[in-house]
Amino acid sequence: MAIEFSLGKKQLETREGIRGLAKNVIRPQALAWDRAGGIPEEFLRNMARLATSMGSNAMRSGLGDETEEEKREAEKKRGPSGTNLFGVLASEELAWGDAGLLLCLPGPGLGGPPVRGSGTAEQKKRFFGMFEDLDNAPLKWGAYGLTEPNAGSDVSGIRTSCRKDGRHWVLNGRKCYITNGARAVWTVIFATIDPALGRAGHRAFVVEKGTPGFGVGRIEEKMGLRASETAELVLEDCRVPEENLLGGEEKYVSKEGFMTAMKTFDNTRPLVAAMACGIGRAAYEYACDFVKDNYVLSRPIPRYAAIVERLAKVGRSLEAARSLTWRAAWMADNGLANAKEASMSKAMAGQAAIKACIEALENCGAEGSIARDHQLLEKWFRDIKVYDIFEGTGAIQRIVISKRLISDLKSF
Amino acid sequence: MISFEPTEDQKLMVESVAGFARNTLRPRIREFEKERGVSEAVRKTAHELGLGLVGLPESVGGAGLGMTTAVLLEEEVAWGDPAAGFAFGGPGAFGFAVLELGTPEQATAALAPFTADGGHARFGAVAWGEPKPNRDRAGFTTTAKKTDAGWTIDGTKSYVVNADRAEHFVVFAQVDAAAGWRGLGAFLVDKSAKGLKVLARETTLGLDAVSFGGIELTSVVVPDSARLLGGGDFDAALVRFFARHAVIVAARGVGLSRAAFDVTREYVDNRKAFGKPIGHFQAVAFTVADRAMDVDAGRGLVWRAAAAWDAYDAGDRNANDAKECLLRSAHAIAFVHEAAMRCGDDGVQLHGGAGFMRDFPVEKFMRDAKQIGLCGMTAEHADQLAGAVALGVAIDPGLVLPTPETQNAFV
Ligand SMILES: Cc1cc2nc3c(=O)[nH]c(=O)nc-3n(C[C@H](O)[C@H](O)[C@H](O)COP(=O)(O)OP(=O)(O)OC[C@H]3O[C@@H](n4cnc5c(N)ncnc54)[C@H](O)[C@@H]3O)c2cc1C
Repeated sequence: MAIEFSLGKKQLETREGIRGLAKNVIRPQALAWDRAGGIPEEFLRNMARLATSMGSNAMRSGLGDETEEEKREAEKKRGPSGTNLFGVLASEELAWGDAGLLLCLPGPGLGGPPVRGSGTAEQKKRFFGMFEDLDNAPLKWGAYGLTEPNAGSDVSGIRTSCRKDGRHWVLNGRKCYITNGARAVWTVIFATIDPALGRAGHRAFVVEKGTPGFGVGRIEEKMGLRASETAELVLEDCRVPEENLLGGEEKYVSKEGFMTAMKTFDNTRPLVAAMACGIGRAAYEYACDFVKDNYVLSRPIPRYAAIVERLAKVGRSLEAARSLTWRAAWMADNGLANAKEASMSKAMAGQAAIKACIEALENCGAEGSIARDHQLLEKWFRDIKVYDIFEGTGAIQRIVISKRLISDLKSF
Repeated sequence: MISFEPTEDQKLMVESVAGFARNTLRPRIREFEKERGVSEAVRKTAHELGLGLVGLPESVGGAGLGMTTAVLLEEEVAWGDPAAGFAFGGPGAFGFAVLELGTPEQATAALAPFTADGGHARFGAVAWGEPKPNRDRAGFTTTAKKTDAGWTIDGTKSYVVNADRAEHFVVFAQVDAAAGWRGLGAFLVDKSAKGLKVLARETTLGLDAVSFGGIELTSVVVPDSARLLGGGDFDAALVRFFARHAVIVAARGVGLSRAAFDVTREYVDNRKAFGKPIGHFQAVAFTVADRAMDVDAGRGLVWRAAAAWDAYDAGDRNANDAKECLLRSAHAIAFVHEAAMRCGDDGVQLHGGAGFMRDFPVEKFMRDAKQIGLCGMTAEHADQLAGAVALGVAIDPGLVLPTPETQNAFV
């Protein structure tokens, strides 16, 4: 090993391929998807096929889809896997093309990691098996349902209840802001047997579409990321068969149940960070091109130096965030615990990218805010904000980080 | 491949330099500060550890370990004392100046004194800055005029790191007055040259163990062979020199940031208010988290820049690779300068009144952070450089390098 930042020949080729796709195919459609509030299924199918053919479920399943054991096994065979690094490189490029595309891709999505991590062998087979036929079957999505109207950052505060009744569990409650929630064939729903027990009372279920008592509430109208579906889910005496309790009863003897839910994020946060870098980079490059096209650089006036400085500050913040992102992914590939580093990447990338979009608009002046064809700046400005919110807000990332820096810090 | 893991050799070197920083430098930072220098015995140890020549290629007499190794070690040294790296003997900025601006033969000859025995006692320096801008035209006031004997240099140079310690200088002077910042020349001048006078050392805000001063040149004559031509494109070589040197300074900035962060993290663990450690208050903890991100991201950028230089040195040194080096170096130095200042400032803040006292090292780190931000290339100049590379416009030395016309820096 040595400190290195160059990509191998194959990685470079792959990235170039994705870059070309993002530029020539994805980007030109991004505005239309934003306006339509969705991406055509045939396109999604092609994208999913492509992702699979590249030997990676990464883009389909929100990545992080190997368990620790599987990873260790794989490593023994072929050295450290590059799955996570490949994932962040690809995610940045695709998000550069369109901020919402990755969230729309069919596959288990964010629901994948908890099923992988906590599911029994039978459950994995049953719930992942559904996604296998990409060519003929209708497209399928999975979803992850943790957030509730009164519990987002404070995950331990969820109130969706579950109680055992014969061979079923009966669930009651509401979930909100669930990505692909309405279209999902199944959603991992987190519920509690008794709110007083805190995390120890949490249970995770795979709730399938069509389960009696499981319905879709409103589909949200959002500031940005409008091509991605965000739905409310309603559980009213929803009867979930006991074999859909993730991991089976014995899994919940300890607090592990909750920890598995959270572990999802160690692998996905760098991906979200990489997507943020991609969107930020898109805006940054747009602003650079705009300055090149519109400013008479051969006749420098003092104001140009100020604009150059603005651009440079954005460029380096994005680069700083990218370096934290690559590090977090590299650690995951090498089997190193990376909760702190994953949170660092997400915290820095979210803010750097938001700043990149704000500054780009500022640099382009009035022109930057116009929503004309091929004018994506105002869209990125709307899209990016959520990257500092979902998968843990910036403040929540800082809680994760500071707990790992400050002694005996359990909570604030 | 992307990897964040140093080689086994690098790990061993880092370990031994970290030990030196922890056991020898850190306990004596106040002593070095008071004495305004690092003692000879410590400089000798640093020399024996091979510090100083690490980043210079073997082809010119360096250790050939590469910039990546150099930044790993520089961070450790600066963690011990941010001033130490500048105050040890060795070529310092002079080394990078002759490497980028000289021919291989010139560089090898100029570096020979530093590789020989007693190298710890020899300093090199770069006489770049000047006290006042030239109000009539762009460019320096110091001139070098062609004569039959070679070149005659006249003028005053200031903001020179190690001016009073150096035996060997690279002096920058105007060779073509009409060409402004594109009309500079560089010359190797020894301290012993007739007409060279070392000016009084300055007292500064921070980095007290480093000597900051200047030189005065009155009809100093050097042979034609002392001129460094920058391999045909002088301006490009000049900017490369500044950028390469900036990566080393940035590595020191990372060490400084980490030093301020470490003492602060420890302090917030132990200091109690309102019945609990202050680190258990969110406003404090989040500040600590932000500064940890500053340290780590800064290091990532420095590593990336160093790796770019190593790739450039290993390749055919083409213009594209050079651009990559300039961009990465500019990102690293600008980010680290600002990050170090935040780490120093927040470090003092989280110590409260105690932070203001010299009993604790953190006030020194804060002063050092501002001072180091004025060494080599400032964040502002680095941003102009990165912006020019990103926009693909010509790199104007007058805009991207520190000068009396924009903002002087110690070189
Ligand atoms: C587009 C979109 C898609 C989403 N997809 C999903 C999904 O698929 N599945 C899912 O389960 N959820 C999803 N979410 C929900 C998302 O994860 C939450 O919105 C997020 O975690 C924040 O929770 P909240 O909205 O309840 O905000 P709150 O928790 O109410 O936070 C409000 C503010 O208070 C701050 N805050 C809260 N607690 C603290 C604290 N202890 N210290 C300091 N500050 C604090 C937060 O940082 C924030 O700034 C999605 C959200 C969006 C917008």
